[in-house]
Parts: sequence; structure tokens; C-alpha cells
Amino acid sequence: MKCAEREQLFAYVHGMLEAREEGEIRAHVEQCAECRSAAEEFRNLDAVLDEWQPTEPSPWFDARVRAAVAASEPPPAAVFLGFEWGRWLAPALLVVLVVAGSLVVYRSRQPQVVPQPTARQEALKPAAPVPATPVSPVLQGEADELSLYQNLPVLEDYEMLANFDVLSELPKGEKKVAN
Amino acid sequence: MAIDHDLELMLRVRRGDAASFEELLRRHRVPLVNYFARMLRDQALAEDLAQEVFLRVYRARERYQPEAKFTTWLYRIATNVALNATRDRKESSPRTGLNSEGQGSEIEVSTLADARPTAEQVLMQADRQRTICQAVEALPENQRAAVILHKYQDVDYRQIAKILGVSESAVKSLLFRAHESLRVRLEPLLKEGQL
Repeated sequence: MKCAEREQLFAYVHGMLEAREEGEIRAHVEQCAECRSAAEEFRNLDAVLDEWQPTEPSPWFDARVRAAVAASEPPPAAVFLGFEWGRWLAPALLVVLVVAGSLVVYRSRQPQVVPQPTARQEALKPAAPVPATPVSPVLQGEADELSLYQNLPVLEDYEMLANFDVLSELPKGEKKVAN
Repeated sequence: MAIDHDLELMLRVRRGDAASFEELLRRHRVPLVNYFARMLRDQALAEDLAQEVFLRVYRARERYQPEAKFTTWLYRIATNVALNATRDRKESSPRTGLNSEGQGSEIEVSTLADARPTAEQVLMQADRQRTICQAVEALPENQRAAVILHKYQDVDYRQIAKILGVSESAVKSLLFRAHESLRVRLEPLLKEGQL
């Protein structure tokens, strides 16, 4: 075998050859002083490069890495029950605002319905005050209270529910006529 | 095939295991800081960049795919960060690093302190180490990265090919040319060693 190329020798010294090629070069180097010397040069260079000693990181290096990692995490409040609320909060608020806005517009376009008084409300409506008739303060107070109750829609509804029987709504005179 | 313990740890980190990230940090903090220190010859910057790599690893945990050895992935990130930093530094100050002897000496003396050599030996060793640093630093970027990965980080040439994104034969060639340059630049040290 003729002398190996320097690049081949370098690869041999650094274990970068396939097994077959390595075997061939090894056999040649054992017999060839020139190639053996070249291989030795590469090994000497490696020994010199080994003099470049490693350094130790500063004592606070790990703490700095941990702090950087912690700072890269989302804030703890944003994660609750395994769900990242923070990520969805803004879109959810936007949806709520859009829905609310649509409702307001829809309601504003609907015709206003003024509730008409029912017949019963008309019947219960107190008669127009007769200014000429003097009323005692006690009676006046009772009348005001009655008027207040009658005009309260909640009490009206309660009264209607309490006397749900339709017949009870009819005046007594009409009942007699029916019989 | 040997089980890649780092890869297992990284898969656990992907599942949210903080202790495994701590283990990866413990295993790779010294090699990574040294990789940057040798690439850039600036200890403070080396620590900043190593921290940046750990942060990127953590942020990428959910996307991590165990396609190659963990160290291949780690050093691919680290090499990108190192080469970007080298280019940034060149743009801001073309001669920074090569003559930053104060920083270099500080590293050298601190690391030699454990062997308890004499003051003269310390100075001599520091001088030799500075010569080696400068010789490696004078290499083109890719050659420098390849030499440091191969010589000091125990990364084999197949991994280096993946890290640098070149073919395996290109890595062999890069390493050979780098060693030929270093042999010339370090000839005085090689001769001293033979005395």
C-alpha cells in the first residue's frame, strides 16, 4: 500500500474511518515511519489543544436560568383548573359585547307597546274626586292607602291569582241573571 | 443502541416534569458555558448565551421531537446562538475578543489554581493557553465550531454534520483543514513539547 493522504491519516487518528479502511491504514502506519510520524504530529497537536482547560460557570448561573425560565411562564392566575383563562378572556369579552350590542339595537327597533288598562283596572280605578264633598282626614288617609294598593301592579297580580275563579270576577247582579 | 438519557429527560420535560429540566441543566451547564466561552472568549457573554439556550430548550419543550440525539439538538441551538453572537460582535467591534487578554488570563489562572503550580508555571501555562485560544479563534467560524465541538464537547463528526447542516465528509474536511492551520499556528508550542 502506498502512503496515505494526510487527511486520511487525520481521520484514522480521530477514529473517523470505516472499519475496513481503518484496518488498512493501521497496517500501513505500523510499517511506514513517515506516516507514523505524521500520525504522531496529529496526536501531539491534540495534546497541546488539551491544555485549554474548561471553566466553571459562576455560582449564580443556575439561579439565573431558573429565573429566566420562571419569567417565561404565563402568570399563575391565568391558569385555573388546567385551563388558560387568560388566553380566552379577551375573545369571550368581545363576544359578550357584540351580543349585548345586538340586543340593544334589536330592542330599540321594536315598536313601543303602551300597556292598555284592563277592564278590571278601569273598574277599580277610583272615581274622580269630588272637590265639593268634604272628607275627614281619617277617611282620606284610608282612601289614599286603598288607591296605593290598587295601583300597585304586583298586588293586582296577586289578587288576580288569589281569585283565579272567573265567576268570582263577575258582579253579583250578573250571576243572578244567569241563574 | 445506547439509551439517550438526555432524550428521556427531555421527553419528561415535555410532559411537564420540572425536575427533569433541572437534571438537564445540571448535566449540560458546564459543557454549554465552556462551548460559548471557547467560541467567544468572553465568560460573561458565554453564561448569558448558555442561559439563552436553556431558555430556548424549555420554551421548545412542547414541540420537541426525539429525532436525533439530545446533544445534537442542543448544540444545533447553541451553535446558531454562538454564530449569531460572533457576527453581532464583529459588526459592533471588529477586534473584540482576539486581544481581550484580561478576560482570558482571568479564566486561565482561576482554572489552573486547583493544580497548585508555581507562579512561574501559572504564567507559562496561561501564556500557552492564550496562544491556543488565539489560534482557535483565528479559524473561520465553521472550522472553529467543528473543532470545539469535536475536541472539547465530545461530539462525534456525524453529529457535527447534523449540527452544522453539512455532509459528514464536509465535516472531516473542515476538521482536517482546521487542524492543519492549528498545527502551523501552534508550532512553537509543539516544538516546546518535544524538548
